[in-house]
Amino acid sequence: MSQASSFFKCARQRLPNSLPRAWLTLLALSLVSALLTMLPVLPELLGAGILILALIKARVILALYLDLAKSQVWLRGFTAVLTGFVLVIFSLYRM
Amino acid sequence: MSDTSLIDELPGELLMWVLIISELLVFGAGLIAFMAVRLTDPAGFAEAQSHLYRTGAAFNTAVLVTSGYLAAQALNWRKVARRGAARLALIGAALLGVMFLIIKGVEYTGKAAQGITFETHPFFMFYYLLTGFHAAHVLAGVGILLLVAWRDDARNIEAGAQFWHMVDLVWIMLFPVIYLLG
Repeated sequence: MSQASSFFKCARQRLPNSLPRAWLTLLALSLVSALLTMLPVLPELLGAGILILALIKARVILALYLDLAKSQVWLRGFTAVLTGFVLVIFSLYRM
Repeated sequence: MSDTSLIDELPGELLMWVLIISELLVFGAGLIAFMAVRLTDPAGFAEAQSHLYRTGAAFNTAVLVTSGYLAAQALNWRKVARRGAARLALIGAALLGVMFLIIKGVEYTGKAAQGITFETHPFFMFYYLLTGFHAAHVLAGVGILLLVAWRDDARNIEAGAQFWHMVDLVWIMLFPVIYLLG
């Protein structure tokens, strides 16, 4: 229990803590996604990288634009569902 | 009792969250269907995807997240009674939404010029359906942002901004799947 709470405390600390920082983080992650597609990497790595970046961006929007950072239960719930969605997409991509 | 307090933790109106979750499920199901159909013709999907205007779509990501930032900032400003700044931010967010639609329009016009329609390939059926449905939400969101800039009660702005962030969130998941996963 305490391990779980310290994990989410750590995850919360890793989120940008203000709107301008959230915005800059989203722009930077979008740029990294675009650059990733230009690199000669394996399709599996490319797909995984792009989807992980999308998941991080979605979490930043949920936490700071939609203000779910104030409710860790809901933020964790949304993150879990989106992670499941990304795993399904990645599985279909690699089939 | 605990259920009530959990629901109370959601910022803003509960109905907005019902809408946000519903929209995410609809688009999520559409994207999973897209990836499932892709299994029937991966090479054809990759070839079709190469016709997309990736640079414009990537730029549109920056446009939407910037617009979302302005909408979120508008709410913060309205809460501290900076009504003028909040209104300007909402109008700015709406204008960026219009920019998104113009870029999307250029993209669709380019496809039409190449003779690419719904019937060209199943990829394009999903492409037009999902991006078109999303663009319709952007259009609605622009109207909502302008409406709440006019009727600028903090609760109205919060609801309008939440709708706009939902549109943003959908694009963040839609863009990599449709445009990048070849």
